[in-house]
Amino acid sequence: LVMVTNCPAATSMNDRRDAKPLQATKLLRKVCVKRLAVALSAWLLGSAPAWAVLGQSVESVQSDRESLKGRLLTTPREGYSVHQISRDDGTVVKEFVSSDGKVFGVTWQGPAMPNLAQLLGTYFPQFQEAARAAVHRRAPVAVRTSELVVESGGHMRAFHGRAYLKSLMPNNLTQADVQ
Amino acid sequence: MNARNTSASATLLIGLVLIGCGSSSSTSPSSSLGGGSTGGTGTTPTVNNTQSIQVNLGPAGNAVNGLYTSVTVCVPGTSTCQTISDVLVDTGSEGLRILSSQISLALPAVVDGNGNPLGNCVTFADNSYIWGAVKTAQVEIAGETAPSVPIQIISPSGFPGAPSACNSGGVADNSVSALGANGILGIGVFRQDCGAGCTASATHLPSIYFSCPGAGCTVTSVALQNQLPNPVWLFPQDNNGVLISLPAIPDGGASSLSGSLIFGVGTQSNNSLIGVQVYTTDDLGNFSVVFNGNTYSASFLDTGSNGIFFLDSSTLGIPDCTDGNSSFYCPSSEVSYAAITNGVNGASGQIAFSIANAVSLFNTGNTAFSNLGGPNSGSVDLGLPFFFGRQVAVGIESQTSSAGTGPYWAY
Repeated sequence: LVMVTNCPAATSMNDRRDAKPLQATKLLRKVCVKRLAVALSAWLLGSAPAWAVLGQSVESVQSDRESLKGRLLTTPREGYSVHQISRDDGTVVKEFVSSDGKVFGVTWQGPAMPNLAQLLGTYFPQFQEAARAAVHRRAPVAVRTSELVVESGGHMRAFHGRAYLKSLMPNNLTQADVQ
Repeated sequence: MNARNTSASATLLIGLVLIGCGSSSSTSPSSSLGGGSTGGTGTTPTVNNTQSIQVNLGPAGNAVNGLYTSVTVCVPGTSTCQTISDVLVDTGSEGLRILSSQISLALPAVVDGNGNPLGNCVTFADNSYIWGAVKTAQVEIAGETAPSVPIQIISPSGFPGAPSACNSGGVADNSVSALGANGILGIGVFRQDCGAGCTASATHLPSIYFSCPGAGCTVTSVALQNQLPNPVWLFPQDNNGVLISLPAIPDGGASSLSGSLIFGVGTQSNNSLIGVQVYTTDDLGNFSVVFNGNTYSASFLDTGSNGIFFLDSSTLGIPDCTDGNSSFYCPSSEVSYAAITNGVNGASGQIAFSIANAVSLFNTGNTAFSNLGGPNSGSVDLGLPFFFGRQVAVGIESQTSSAGTGPYWAY
Protein backbone atom coordinates (compact mmCIF):
# COMPACT_ATOMS: atom_id res chain seq x y z
CA LEU A 1 0.00 0.00 0.00
CA VAL A 2 1.17 3.43 -0.87
CA MET A 3 -1.03 6.09 0.62
CA VAL A 4 -1.44 9.78 0.59
CA THR A 5 -3.66 11.87 2.79
CA ASN A 6 -7.08 12.51 1.41
CA CYS A 7 -8.04 15.80 2.91
CA PRO A 8 -9.98 17.70 0.30
CA ALA A 9 -8.54 20.59 -1.63
CA ALA A 10 -10.49 23.65 -0.69
CA THR A 11 -10.63 24.82 -4.29
CA SER A 12 -10.86 21.49 -6.07
CA MET A 13 -13.52 21.30 -8.71
CA ASN A 14 -13.15 17.58 -8.95
CA ASP A 15 -13.72 16.44 -5.44
CA ARG A 16 -16.95 14.56 -5.20
CA ARG A 17 -17.19 15.59 -1.60
CA ASP A 18 -17.93 19.10 -2.81
CA ALA A 19 -21.38 17.81 -3.55
CA LYS A 20 -21.90 16.83 0.06
CA PRO A 21 -23.71 19.04 2.53
CA LEU A 22 -21.82 22.12 3.62
CA GLN A 23 -21.54 20.85 7.16
CA ALA A 24 -19.65 17.77 6.07
CA THR A 25 -17.26 19.80 3.97
CA LYS A 26 -16.62 22.15 6.86
CA LEU A 27 -15.92 19.25 9.14
CA LEU A 28 -13.37 17.78 6.76
CA ARG A 29 -11.58 21.09 6.49
CA LYS A 30 -11.62 21.51 10.24
CA VAL A 31 -10.02 18.11 10.68
CA CYS A 32 -7.36 19.02 8.13
CA VAL A 33 -6.50 22.26 9.88
CA LYS A 34 -6.32 20.43 13.16
CA ARG A 35 -3.96 17.88 11.67
CA LEU A 36 -1.74 20.61 10.33
CA ALA A 37 -1.59 22.19 13.77
CA VAL A 38 -0.67 18.88 15.36
CA ALA A 39 2.01 18.24 12.77
CA LEU A 40 3.46 21.71 13.16
CA SER A 41 3.52 21.33 16.93
CA ALA A 42 5.36 18.05 16.64
CA TRP A 43 7.81 19.68 14.31
CA LEU A 44 8.38 22.77 16.46
CA LEU A 45 8.60 20.87 19.72
CA GLY A 46 10.68 18.03 18.33
CA SER A 47 14.24 17.32 19.31
CA ALA A 48 17.20 18.74 17.42
CA PRO A 49 17.26 17.66 13.79
CA ALA A 50 18.73 14.21 13.41
CA TRP A 51 18.81 14.52 9.64
CA ALA A 52 20.40 17.01 7.36
CA VAL A 53 17.90 19.74 6.85
CA LEU A 54 17.21 20.78 3.32
CA GLY A 55 18.61 24.22 2.66
CA GLN A 56 20.83 24.21 5.75
CA SER A 57 24.55 23.67 6.22
CA VAL A 58 26.72 20.63 5.61
CA GLU A 59 27.47 20.33 9.34
CA SER A 60 24.27 18.40 9.89
CA VAL A 61 25.63 15.48 7.85
CA GLN A 62 27.87 14.28 10.67
CA SER A 63 25.05 14.40 13.22
CA ASP A 64 22.97 12.42 10.76
CA ARG A 65 25.62 9.75 10.56
CA GLU A 66 25.74 9.52 14.34
CA SER A 67 21.99 9.47 14.66
CA LEU A 68 21.63 6.80 12.01
CA LYS A 69 24.62 4.85 13.32
CA GLY A 70 25.61 4.33 9.72
CA ARG A 71 28.70 4.48 7.59
CA LEU A 72 29.52 7.76 5.86
CA LEU A 73 31.03 7.87 2.40
CA THR A 74 31.74 11.28 0.92
CA THR A 75 32.25 11.59 -2.81
CA PRO A 76 33.42 14.89 -4.28
CA ARG A 77 31.88 15.81 -7.61
CA GLU A 78 32.26 18.82 -9.85
CA GLY A 79 30.72 21.72 -7.98
CA TYR A 80 29.16 19.64 -5.21
CA SER A 81 29.62 16.59 -3.03
CA VAL A 82 27.54 13.56 -2.12
CA HIS A 83 27.51 12.36 1.47
CA GLN A 84 26.11 8.85 1.61
CA ILE A 85 25.09 7.32 4.92
CA SER A 86 24.31 3.61 4.78
CA ARG A 87 23.67 0.88 7.27
CA ASP A 88 23.00 -2.81 7.42
CA ASP A 89 19.20 -2.65 7.43
CA GLY A 90 19.19 -1.26 3.90
CA THR A 91 18.78 2.37 4.83
CA VAL A 92 20.70 4.64 2.48
CA VAL A 93 20.51 8.43 2.78
CA LYS A 94 22.37 10.62 0.31
CA GLU A 95 22.84 14.29 1.01
CA PHE A 96 23.83 16.56 -1.83
CA VAL A 97 25.91 19.53 -0.72
CA SER A 98 26.85 22.49 -2.90
CA SER A 99 30.35 24.01 -2.94
CA ASP A 100 29.20 26.73 -0.54
CA GLY A 101 28.17 24.11 2.01
CA LYS A 102 24.38 24.02 1.62
CA VAL A 103 22.32 20.85 1.46
CA PHE A 104 20.37 21.23 -1.78
CA GLY A 105 19.09 17.70 -2.14
CA VAL A 106 18.42 14.52 -0.16
CA THR A 107 17.50 11.04 -1.31
CA TRP A 108 16.46 8.11 0.81
CA GLN A 109 15.68 4.43 0.64
CA GLY A 110 15.01 1.94 3.39
CA PRO A 111 12.58 -0.27 5.27
CA ALA A 112 10.68 2.65 6.80
CA MET A 113 10.01 6.25 5.89
CA PRO A 114 12.52 8.81 7.15
CA ASN A 115 11.36 11.63 9.38
CA LEU A 116 10.27 14.05 6.69
CA ALA A 117 9.52 16.80 9.19
CA GLN A 118 13.17 16.87 10.15
CA LEU A 119 14.47 16.12 6.69
CA LEU A 120 12.60 18.95 5.01
CA GLY A 121 12.95 21.42 7.86
CA THR A 122 11.31 24.74 7.07
CA TYR A 123 10.00 23.27 3.82
CA PHE A 124 8.00 20.56 5.58
CA PRO A 125 4.79 22.65 5.87
CA GLN A 126 4.89 23.18 2.09
CA PHE A 127 5.10 19.45 1.59
CA GLN A 128 2.30 18.76 4.03
CA GLU A 129 0.04 21.36 2.51
CA ALA A 130 0.52 20.00 -0.98
CA ALA A 131 0.14 16.39 0.14
CA ARG A 132 -3.09 17.23 1.97
CA ALA A 133 -4.49 19.03 -1.04
CA ALA A 134 -4.53 15.74 -2.88
CA VAL A 135 -7.86 14.09 -3.63
CA HIS A 136 -8.71 10.60 -4.83
CA ARG A 137 -5.41 9.46 -3.45
CA ARG A 138 -3.91 6.11 -2.72
CA ALA A 139 -0.66 6.72 -4.40
CA PRO A 140 2.92 7.86 -4.20
CA VAL A 141 3.30 11.55 -3.49
CA ALA A 142 4.83 14.13 -5.79
CA VAL A 143 5.00 17.70 -4.54
CA ARG A 144 6.24 20.39 -6.90
CA THR A 145 6.24 24.02 -5.88
CA SER A 146 8.20 26.90 -7.40
CA GLU A 147 11.20 26.06 -5.23
CA LEU A 148 10.68 22.60 -3.73
CA VAL A 149 10.34 19.13 -5.23
CA VAL A 150 9.53 16.11 -3.05
CA GLU A 151 8.87 12.67 -4.51
CA SER A 152 8.13 9.75 -2.24
CA GLY A 153 7.15 6.21 -3.17
CA GLY A 154 7.58 2.54 -2.45
CA HIS A 155 5.75 0.14 -0.20
CA MET A 156 6.02 -1.60 3.17
CA ARG A 157 9.65 -2.71 3.67
CA ALA A 158 10.91 -0.69 0.70
CA PHE A 159 10.47 3.07 0.61
CA HIS A 160 12.36 5.51 -1.56
CA GLY A 161 12.23 9.17 -2.38
CA ARG A 162 14.04 12.42 -2.87
CA ALA A 163 13.73 16.11 -2.15
CA TYR A 164 15.59 19.04 -3.64
CA LEU A 165 15.58 22.81 -3.82
CA LYS A 166 15.70 24.28 -7.29
CA SER A 167 17.21 27.58 -6.15
CA LEU A 168 20.17 25.96 -4.38
CA MET A 169 21.01 23.44 -7.06
CA PRO A 170 24.37 24.10 -8.74
CA ASN A 171 24.02 25.39 -12.27
CA ASN A 172 25.77 22.40 -13.80
CA LEU A 173 23.20 19.95 -12.39
CA THR A 174 19.72 18.85 -13.34
CA GLN A 175 17.10 17.05 -11.28
CA ALA A 176 18.32 13.79 -12.80
CA ASP A 177 21.58 14.18 -10.86
CA VAL A 178 19.78 14.04 -7.52
CA GLN A 179 19.33 10.32 -7.11
CA MET B 1 17.35 -18.09 -5.02
CA ASN B 2 17.80 -14.57 -6.22
CA ALA B 3 20.55 -15.18 -8.75
CA ARG B 4 19.69 -13.99 -12.19
CA ASN B 5 19.34 -16.74 -14.70
CA THR B 6 18.04 -15.73 -18.05
CA SER B 7 17.90 -19.30 -19.23
CA ALA B 8 15.32 -20.02 -16.59
CA SER B 9 12.68 -17.88 -18.20
CA ALA B 10 11.67 -20.45 -20.77
CA THR B 11 11.11 -23.10 -18.15
CA LEU B 12 8.89 -20.71 -16.26
CA LEU B 13 6.39 -20.67 -19.06
CA ILE B 14 4.41 -23.52 -17.71
CA GLY B 15 2.22 -24.05 -20.68
CA LEU B 16 -0.94 -22.21 -21.45
CA VAL B 17 -2.16 -19.00 -19.96
CA LEU B 18 -4.11 -18.48 -16.84
CA ILE B 19 -7.63 -19.71 -17.19
CA GLY B 20 -9.80 -16.80 -18.17
CA CYS B 21 -6.85 -14.50 -18.65
CA GLY B 22 -5.96 -12.80 -21.85
CA SER B 23 -8.15 -10.76 -24.10
CA SER B 24 -9.72 -7.61 -22.84
CA SER B 25 -13.07 -8.95 -23.91
CA SER B 26 -12.97 -11.83 -21.48
CA THR B 27 -15.94 -12.27 -19.24
CA SER B 28 -15.76 -12.05 -15.52
CA PRO B 29 -12.77 -14.15 -14.47
CA SER B 30 -14.64 -15.39 -11.46
CA SER B 31 -17.11 -17.13 -13.68
CA SER B 32 -14.46 -18.57 -15.94
CA LEU B 33 -12.74 -20.12 -12.98
CA GLY B 34 -15.66 -22.43 -12.55
CA GLY B 35 -16.56 -24.27 -9.43
CA GLY B 36 -14.09 -26.35 -7.57
CA SER B 37 -15.42 -29.58 -9.01
CA THR B 38 -15.29 -28.53 -12.64
CA GLY B 39 -11.58 -28.10 -12.98
CA GLY B 40 -10.88 -31.57 -14.31
CA THR B 41 -7.61 -32.70 -12.83
CA GLY B 42 -7.91 -30.64 -9.66
CA THR B 43 -9.15 -31.90 -6.37
CA THR B 44 -12.52 -31.00 -4.96
CA PRO B 45 -12.17 -28.10 -2.54
CA THR B 46 -12.27 -29.14 1.05
CA VAL B 47 -13.07 -25.60 2.09
CA ASN B 48 -14.43 -22.58 0.27
CA ASN B 49 -11.29 -20.71 -0.74
CA THR B 50 -12.99 -17.96 -2.77
CA GLN B 51 -13.78 -14.57 -1.30
CA SER B 52 -15.69 -11.89 -3.17
CA ILE B 53 -13.85 -8.60 -3.65
CA GLN B 54 -15.30 -5.31 -4.89
CA VAL B 55 -14.19 -1.99 -6.31
CA ASN B 56 -16.58 0.73 -5.19
CA LEU B 57 -16.75 4.09 -3.43
CA GLY B 58 -15.67 2.54 -0.16
CA PRO B 59 -16.93 3.46 3.32
CA ALA B 60 -15.77 7.08 3.03
CA GLY B 61 -17.74 7.42 -0.20
CA ASN B 62 -14.92 8.85 -2.28
CA ALA B 63 -12.59 6.00 -3.22
CA VAL B 64 -11.12 5.57 -6.68
CA ASN B 65 -9.76 2.15 -7.52
CA GLY B 66 -10.23 1.00 -3.95
CA LEU B 67 -10.44 -2.81 -3.66
CA TYR B 68 -12.47 -4.04 -0.72
CA THR B 69 -13.63 -7.20 0.98
CA SER B 70 -14.98 -8.27 4.35
CA VAL B 71 -13.13 -10.13 7.07
CA THR B 72 -14.52 -11.89 10.12
CA VAL B 73 -12.53 -11.67 13.33
CA CYS B 74 -13.28 -13.59 16.51
CA VAL B 75 -12.04 -13.69 20.06
CA PRO B 76 -9.71 -16.72 19.89
CA GLY B 77 -11.28 -19.93 21.10
CA THR B 78 -14.79 -18.49 21.17
CA SER B 79 -17.68 -17.95 18.83
CA THR B 80 -17.70 -14.25 19.62
CA CYS B 81 -17.10 -12.79 16.22
CA GLN B 82 -17.58 -9.68 14.18
CA THR B 83 -17.54 -9.21 10.43
CA ILE B 84 -15.71 -6.10 9.28
CA SER B 85 -16.81 -4.82 5.88
CA ASP B 86 -14.96 -2.53 3.50
CA VAL B 87 -11.49 -3.74 4.36
CA LEU B 88 -8.93 -2.67 1.76
CA VAL B 89 -7.29 -5.60 -0.05
CA ASP B 90 -3.60 -4.72 -0.26
CA THR B 91 -0.86 -6.78 -1.88
CA GLY B 92 1.63 -4.03 -1.02
CA SER B 93 1.66 -4.80 2.69
CA GLU B 94 1.29 -7.60 5.19
CA GLY B 95 -1.02 -7.87 8.17
CA LEU B 96 -4.65 -7.29 9.10
CA ARG B 97 -5.32 -3.84 10.53
CA ILE B 98 -8.73 -2.65 11.70
CA LEU B 99 -9.85 0.77 12.87
CA SER B 100 -10.74 0.67 16.55
CA SER B 101 -13.97 2.50 15.72
CA GLN B 102 -15.07 -0.45 13.59
CA ILE B 103 -14.50 -3.29 16.05
CA SER B 104 -16.05 -3.91 19.44
CA LEU B 105 -14.47 -7.26 20.36
CA ALA B 106 -12.29 -7.52 23.45
CA LEU B 107 -9.21 -9.16 21.98
CA PRO B 108 -6.21 -10.29 24.05
CA ALA B 109 -3.11 -8.12 23.75
CA VAL B 110 0.15 -9.41 22.36
CA VAL B 111 2.84 -8.59 24.94
CA ASP B 112 6.62 -8.50 25.01
CA GLY B 113 8.89 -10.49 27.34
CA ASN B 114 8.16 -8.11 30.19
CA GLY B 115 4.42 -8.33 29.81
CA ASN B 116 4.10 -4.93 28.19
CA PRO B 117 1.65 -4.59 25.29
CA LEU B 118 3.09 -4.23 21.82
CA GLY B 119 2.40 -1.27 19.55
CA ASN B 120 2.83 -1.31 15.79
CA CYS B 121 3.58 1.54 13.42
CA VAL B 122 3.11 1.67 9.67
CA THR B 123 4.41 4.58 7.68
CA PHE B 124 3.31 5.42 4.16
CA ALA B 125 5.07 7.16 1.31
CA ASP B 126 3.07 10.35 1.90
CA ASN B 127 4.34 10.53 5.48
CA SER B 128 0.97 9.53 6.91
CA TYR B 129 0.98 6.68 9.38
CA ILE B 130 -1.05 4.06 11.19
CA TRP B 131 -0.48 3.47 14.88
CA GLY B 132 -2.15 0.95 17.11
CA ALA B 133 -2.05 -2.01 19.45
CA VAL B 134 -1.17 -5.58 18.53
CA LYS B 135 -3.93 -8.02 19.52
CA THR B 136 -4.61 -11.67 18.85
CA ALA B 137 -7.67 -12.72 16.86
CA GLN B 138 -9.08 -15.62 14.97
CA VAL B 139 -9.36 -14.54 11.36
CA GLU B 140 -11.93 -16.00 8.98
CA ILE B 141 -12.18 -15.22 5.28
CA ALA B 142 -14.37 -17.31 2.95
CA GLY B 143 -14.07 -20.83 4.39
CA GLU B 144 -10.53 -20.31 5.63
CA THR B 145 -9.76 -19.87 9.31
CA ALA B 146 -6.52 -18.89 11.03
CA PRO B 147 -7.10 -19.48 14.73
CA SER B 148 -4.50 -17.19 16.27
CA VAL B 149 -3.31 -14.15 14.36
CA PRO B 150 -1.59 -11.01 15.65
CA ILE B 151 -3.53 -8.09 14.14
CA GLN B 152 -3.41 -4.35 14.62
CA ILE B 153 -6.21 -2.35 16.20
CA ILE B 154 -5.72 1.19 14.92
CA SER B 155 -5.71 3.97 17.54
CA PRO B 156 -7.61 2.17 20.30
CA SER B 157 -8.75 4.14 23.31
CA GLY B 158 -6.80 3.46 26.48
CA PHE B 159 -3.61 2.78 24.54
CA PRO B 160 -0.66 5.19 24.42
CA GLY B 161 -0.66 7.62 21.52
CA ALA B 162 1.75 7.35 18.63
CA PRO B 163 5.35 7.86 19.72
CA SER B 164 7.24 10.60 17.88
CA ALA B 165 9.38 7.94 16.20
CA CYS B 166 6.20 6.74 14.51
CA ASN B 167 4.33 9.88 13.54
CA SER B 168 7.32 11.86 12.20
CA GLY B 169 5.11 14.89 11.82
CA GLY B 170 2.76 13.01 9.51
CA VAL B 171 -0.99 12.59 9.45
CA ALA B 172 -2.68 9.74 11.32
CA ASP B 173 -4.80 7.43 9.19
CA ASN B 174 -6.99 6.71 12.17
CA SER B 175 -10.52 7.26 10.85
CA VAL B 176 -12.69 5.95 8.04
CA SER B 177 -12.36 9.27 6.22
CA ALA B 178 -8.58 9.34 6.55
CA LEU B 179 -8.03 5.68 5.71
CA GLY B 180 -10.79 5.36 3.11
CA ALA B 181 -11.49 1.92 4.54
CA ASN B 182 -12.47 0.18 7.76
CA GLY B 183 -9.17 -1.63 7.78
CA ILE B 184 -6.43 -3.08 5.61
CA LEU B 185 -5.95 -6.73 4.70
CA GLY B 186 -2.27 -6.97 3.82
CA ILE B 187 -1.68 -10.06 1.71
CA GLY B 188 1.60 -9.31 -0.03
CA VAL B 189 4.57 -11.54 -0.80
CA PHE B 190 5.96 -11.73 2.74
CA ARG B 191 4.98 -13.76 5.80
CA GLN B 192 5.21 -10.79 8.18
CA ASP B 193 5.02 -7.03 7.93
CA CYS B 194 8.62 -6.58 9.05
CA GLY B 195 10.39 -9.93 9.26
CA ALA B 196 13.95 -10.53 10.45
CA GLY B 197 14.66 -6.78 10.42
CA CYS B 198 12.52 -6.35 13.55
CA THR B 199 13.80 -9.37 15.52
CA ALA B 200 16.47 -9.42 18.20
CA SER B 201 19.09 -10.35 15.62
CA ALA B 202 18.69 -7.03 13.78
CA THR B 203 21.54 -4.51 13.99
CA HIS B 204 19.23 -1.53 13.61
CA LEU B 205 15.60 -1.72 14.66
CA PRO B 206 13.25 0.36 12.51
CA SER B 207 10.43 2.29 14.19
CA ILE B 208 7.85 -0.41 13.57
CA TYR B 209 7.36 -2.36 16.81
CA PHE B 210 7.15 -0.70 20.21
CA SER B 211 6.99 -1.88 23.79
CA CYS B 212 4.26 0.08 25.54
CA PRO B 213 4.32 0.17 29.34
CA GLY B 214 2.11 2.87 30.81
CA ALA B 215 4.96 5.39 30.75
CA GLY B 216 5.17 5.43 26.96
CA CYS B 217 6.28 3.38 24.00
CA THR B 218 9.83 2.62 22.88
CA VAL B 219 11.14 0.73 19.87
CA THR B 220 11.62 -2.96 20.55
CA SER B 221 12.45 -6.19 18.80
CA VAL B 222 9.68 -8.72 18.24
CA ALA B 223 9.96 -12.39 17.43
CA LEU B 224 8.55 -13.39 14.05
CA GLN B 225 5.56 -15.20 15.58
CA ASN B 226 4.43 -12.02 17.35
CA GLN B 227 4.72 -9.77 14.30
CA LEU B 228 1.71 -9.01 12.13
CA PRO B 229 1.54 -11.84 9.64
CA ASN B 230 0.03 -12.12 6.23
CA PRO B 231 -3.05 -14.02 7.51
CA VAL B 232 -3.08 -16.30 4.46
CA TRP B 233 0.17 -17.87 5.58
CA LEU B 234 -1.52 -18.98 8.81
CA PHE B 235 -4.42 -20.78 7.17
CA PRO B 236 -4.17 -24.58 7.65
CA GLN B 237 -4.48 -25.04 3.88
CA ASP B 238 -4.39 -22.84 0.78
CA ASN B 239 -1.63 -20.94 2.54
CA ASN B 240 1.06 -20.49 -0.11
CA GLY B 241 -0.41 -17.39 -1.72
CA VAL B 242 -3.47 -15.90 -3.33
CA LEU B 243 -4.92 -15.39 -6.76
CA ILE B 244 -6.60 -12.09 -7.49
CA SER B 245 -9.08 -12.15 -10.32
CA LEU B 246 -10.70 -8.99 -11.61
CA PRO B 247 -12.63 -8.38 -14.82
CA ALA B 248 -11.56 -6.11 -17.63
CA ILE B 249 -13.38 -2.78 -17.73
CA PRO B 250 -14.09 -0.22 -20.46
CA ASP B 251 -11.83 2.78 -21.03
CA GLY B 252 -14.31 5.07 -19.33
CA GLY B 253 -14.29 2.97 -16.19
CA ALA B 254 -16.94 1.11 -14.24
CA SER B 255 -19.26 2.32 -11.52
CA SER B 256 -18.39 -0.75 -9.46
CA LEU B 257 -17.24 -4.29 -10.06
CA SER B 258 -16.73 -7.62 -8.37
CA GLY B 259 -13.98 -10.17 -8.57
CA SER B 260 -12.48 -13.00 -6.59
CA LEU B 261 -9.76 -13.39 -4.04
CA ILE B 262 -8.83 -17.07 -4.17
CA PHE B 263 -6.64 -18.55 -1.45
CA GLY B 264 -3.87 -20.95 -2.35
CA VAL B 265 -1.85 -21.41 -5.53
CA GLY B 266 -2.30 -24.80 -7.14
CA THR B 267 -3.96 -26.18 -4.04
CA GLN B 268 -7.44 -26.63 -5.49
CA SER B 269 -8.93 -26.97 -8.92
CA ASN B 270 -9.90 -23.29 -8.96
CA ASN B 271 -6.43 -21.90 -8.39
CA SER B 272 -4.27 -23.84 -10.80
CA LEU B 273 -1.53 -21.77 -12.36
CA ILE B 274 -1.52 -22.98 -15.89
CA GLY B 275 1.10 -21.47 -18.07
CA VAL B 276 1.64 -18.17 -16.40
CA GLN B 277 4.96 -16.44 -16.24
CA VAL B 278 6.33 -16.51 -12.71
CA TYR B 279 8.30 -13.44 -11.64
CA THR B 280 10.19 -13.80 -8.40
CA THR B 281 10.92 -10.67 -6.38
CA ASP B 282 14.00 -9.58 -4.48
CA ASP B 283 14.30 -9.51 -0.71
CA LEU B 284 12.39 -6.22 -0.62
CA GLY B 285 9.45 -7.44 -2.67
CA ASN B 286 10.53 -5.68 -5.86
CA PHE B 287 11.23 -6.67 -9.43
CA SER B 288 12.40 -4.75 -12.48
CA VAL B 289 10.40 -2.87 -15.05
CA VAL B 290 12.15 -1.71 -18.20
CA PHE B 291 10.55 1.35 -19.74
CA ASN B 292 12.03 3.14 -22.77
CA GLY B 293 15.31 1.32 -22.21
CA ASN B 294 15.65 2.40 -18.59
CA THR B 295 15.48 -0.20 -15.83
CA TYR B 296 13.52 0.54 -12.66
CA SER B 297 14.61 -2.16 -10.25
CA ALA B 298 12.44 -1.14 -7.28
CA SER B 299 9.16 -1.78 -9.08
CA PHE B 300 6.23 -3.74 -7.75
CA LEU B 301 2.60 -4.85 -8.03
CA ASP B 302 0.23 -3.36 -5.49
CA THR B 303 -3.55 -3.58 -5.33
CA GLY B 304 -3.37 -0.88 -2.66
CA SER B 305 -2.07 1.70 -5.13
CA ASN B 306 -4.96 3.20 -7.04
CA GLY B 307 -3.10 3.90 -10.28
CA ILE B 308 -0.09 3.01 -12.36
CA PHE B 309 2.58 5.34 -11.10
CA PHE B 310 5.71 5.77 -13.18
CA LEU B 311 8.28 8.33 -14.34
CA ASP B 312 7.33 11.98 -14.59
CA SER B 313 5.50 14.36 -16.87
CA SER B 314 8.57 15.86 -18.51
CA THR B 315 10.00 12.45 -19.37
CA LEU B 316 6.68 11.17 -20.70
CA GLY B 317 5.64 14.42 -22.32
CA ILE B 318 2.18 14.43 -20.76
CA PRO B 319 1.00 16.93 -18.17
CA ASP B 320 0.25 16.34 -14.53
CA CYS B 321 -3.26 17.29 -13.51
CA THR B 322 -3.65 20.48 -11.51
CA ASP B 323 -4.83 21.47 -8.04
CA GLY B 324 -5.68 18.54 -5.83
CA ASN B 325 -5.11 16.03 -8.61
CA SER B 326 -1.47 16.87 -9.30
CA SER B 327 -0.36 13.34 -8.49
CA PHE B 328 -2.19 12.03 -11.56
CA TYR B 329 -1.54 12.49 -15.25
CA CYS B 330 -3.90 14.49 -17.44
CA PRO B 331 -2.99 13.84 -21.09
CA SER B 332 -5.27 15.47 -23.64
CA SER B 333 -6.04 12.04 -25.06
CA GLU B 334 -5.37 8.51 -23.91
CA VAL B 335 -1.75 7.37 -24.36
CA SER B 336 -0.64 3.74 -24.71
CA TYR B 337 2.59 2.42 -23.24
CA ALA B 338 4.54 -0.82 -23.28
CA ALA B 339 7.09 -2.04 -20.78
CA ILE B 340 9.00 -5.18 -19.91
CA THR B 341 8.67 -6.80 -16.51
CA ASN B 342 11.65 -8.85 -15.33
CA GLY B 343 11.62 -11.20 -12.38
CA VAL B 344 14.70 -11.73 -10.27
CA ASN B 345 14.62 -15.28 -11.65
CA GLY B 346 15.12 -13.98 -15.18
CA ALA B 347 11.51 -14.35 -16.27
CA SER B 348 10.63 -11.62 -18.72
CA GLY B 349 7.44 -10.48 -20.38
CA GLN B 350 5.88 -7.46 -22.01
CA ILE B 351 3.02 -5.55 -20.49
CA ALA B 352 0.88 -2.84 -22.01
CA PHE B 353 -1.22 -0.19 -20.34
CA SER B 354 -2.81 3.15 -21.11
CA ILE B 355 -3.07 6.45 -19.29
CA ALA B 356 -6.12 8.66 -19.72
CA ASN B 357 -6.95 12.10 -18.40
CA ALA B 358 -7.54 11.55 -14.68
CA VAL B 359 -9.86 14.51 -14.24
CA SER B 360 -12.00 13.34 -17.14
CA LEU B 361 -12.11 9.89 -15.56
CA PHE B 362 -13.10 11.28 -12.16
CA ASN B 363 -15.82 13.37 -13.79
CA THR B 364 -17.53 10.21 -15.03
CA GLY B 365 -18.44 9.40 -11.44
CA ASN B 366 -17.13 5.87 -11.87
CA THR B 367 -14.94 4.23 -9.24
CA ALA B 368 -12.87 1.72 -11.22
CA PHE B 369 -10.44 2.81 -13.93
CA SER B 370 -7.95 0.73 -15.88
CA ASN B 371 -6.13 3.76 -17.28
CA LEU B 372 -5.49 5.93 -14.24
CA GLY B 373 -1.88 6.84 -13.55
CA GLY B 374 0.51 9.40 -12.25
CA PRO B 375 4.13 10.31 -11.60
CA ASN B 376 6.48 8.26 -9.46
CA SER B 377 10.19 8.86 -9.52
CA GLY B 378 12.46 5.87 -9.10
CA SER B 379 10.11 2.92 -9.53
CA VAL B 380 7.14 1.65 -11.48
CA ASP B 381 4.20 1.04 -9.16
CA LEU B 382 1.80 -1.28 -10.96
CA GLY B 383 -1.32 -0.55 -8.97
CA LEU B 384 -4.89 -1.76 -9.25
CA PRO B 385 -5.33 -0.86 -12.96
CA PHE B 386 -2.76 -3.52 -13.77
CA PHE B 387 -5.01 -6.15 -12.18
CA PHE B 388 -8.10 -5.48 -14.29
CA GLY B 389 -8.64 -8.16 -16.92
CA ARG B 390 -6.03 -10.37 -15.32
CA GLN B 391 -5.59 -13.08 -12.80
CA VAL B 392 -2.51 -12.38 -10.75
CA ALA B 393 -0.99 -14.83 -8.31
CA VAL B 394 0.88 -13.56 -5.27
CA GLY B 395 3.29 -16.17 -3.90
CA ILE B 396 4.27 -15.88 -0.24
CA GLU B 397 7.95 -16.07 0.70
CA SER B 398 9.36 -19.54 1.43
CA GLN B 399 6.01 -21.14 0.60
CA THR B 400 6.12 -23.66 -2.18
CA SER B 401 3.59 -24.14 -4.93
CA SER B 402 3.33 -25.49 -8.44
CA ALA B 403 4.74 -22.15 -9.54
CA GLY B 404 7.81 -22.45 -7.36
CA THR B 405 8.78 -20.85 -4.10
CA GLY B 406 7.75 -17.34 -3.11
CA PRO B 407 8.13 -14.45 -3.07
CA TYR B 408 6.76 -14.10 -6.58
CA TRP B 409 4.04 -12.70 -8.77
CA ALA B 410 2.60 -14.72 -11.62
CA TYR B 411 0.48 -13.46 -14.50
